[in-house]
Amino acid sequence: MITIIKFIFCFFIIGNSVLADANTKVAYELYEELRCLVCQNQSLLESNAPLALDLKKVVMDKIELGQSKGEIKKFLVDRYGEFILLKPKYSMQNILLWLGPILFLFIGFFVTFVFLRKQSMYKAEQLPLTKEEENSLKKILDNNVS
Amino acid sequence: MKNKLKYFYSYIPLIIFFILVLFFARQLILKEDPSELPSVLIDEKFPSIALSELPGYKVFSNKNLINANGPSLVNIWSSWCVPCKIEHEYLMSMSNNIIIYGINYKDNKEDALKVLELNGNPFYAIGADRDGMQSINLGVYGVPETFIIDREGNIRYRHVGPILEYDMEKIILPIINKIKQERL
Repeated sequence: MITIIKFIFCFFIIGNSVLADANTKVAYELYEELRCLVCQNQSLLESNAPLALDLKKVVMDKIELGQSKGEIKKFLVDRYGEFILLKPKYSMQNILLWLGPILFLFIGFFVTFVFLRKQSMYKAEQLPLTKEEENSLKKILDNNVS
Repeated sequence: MKNKLKYFYSYIPLIIFFILVLFFARQLILKEDPSELPSVLIDEKFPSIALSELPGYKVFSNKNLINANGPSLVNIWSSWCVPCKIEHEYLMSMSNNIIIYGINYKDNKEDALKVLELNGNPFYAIGADRDGMQSINLGVYGVPETFIIDREGNIRYRHVGPILEYDMEKIILPIINKIKQERL
């Protein structure tokens, strides 16, 4: 009887710690995605500013209440603005931010293409020397030899 | 035609240079601090927050803002905050004409009371936010912060950092006067 109780107790403890571990994992993922507003290029995870510690506590409390990542992010964005997200949202407002680099890459490709084509066009336009030119070239070469 | 185009191409670096100069000049002239965040709560209702009492002073609550006759200021301060001491005299001078509410942020009771006793009390009512959790609803990220509230209890402006003479004369008071002139 006692062993059974011990067994159940063990499961209870293990189950609890597994749950706590899962919560911590989610919390750490969130800490990394959120900006510390005091030292603005650090994430909450990296920061030990008093406000960062408070915000970490808020995040942890909300995870323990069973709120999803999205809900917690929305809570913070509603109060601090989108700046708190280290990774900007995929929204119409941010479209240039996300697609900008690709756009510039294509502009680069286009410019290179035009440049290279022009060069090859110049090559094709190469004409044979006229008689006058040939004569003057000959003169120069002869002078150099003598 | 082709030559003209080439002529234009050679000016591209110069044009880009001047665009950059314009960007930098704008930042220089406007003197905007890029680390200062705009509040998301502008033109929104002041969020409901629950603050505790600072013994001997009236408690500030959302009710104060709902039945307002005119504009008011909400100032987040603390005894451990050095810039708060700098702005204190300006809060004192404004408190003659405007109702100022105080939120005492993550402070201990004795220190907060001592500051008010020593430097004077500019606040009509004070609410204490001991663990700083209530101020998160306001999006507070650096003390001192000051909010301007209109008659309807909406936030009109948020000032981060101490209110210096320039801020008071050029920013805070003009907004207050504007609110005073609305619907009179």
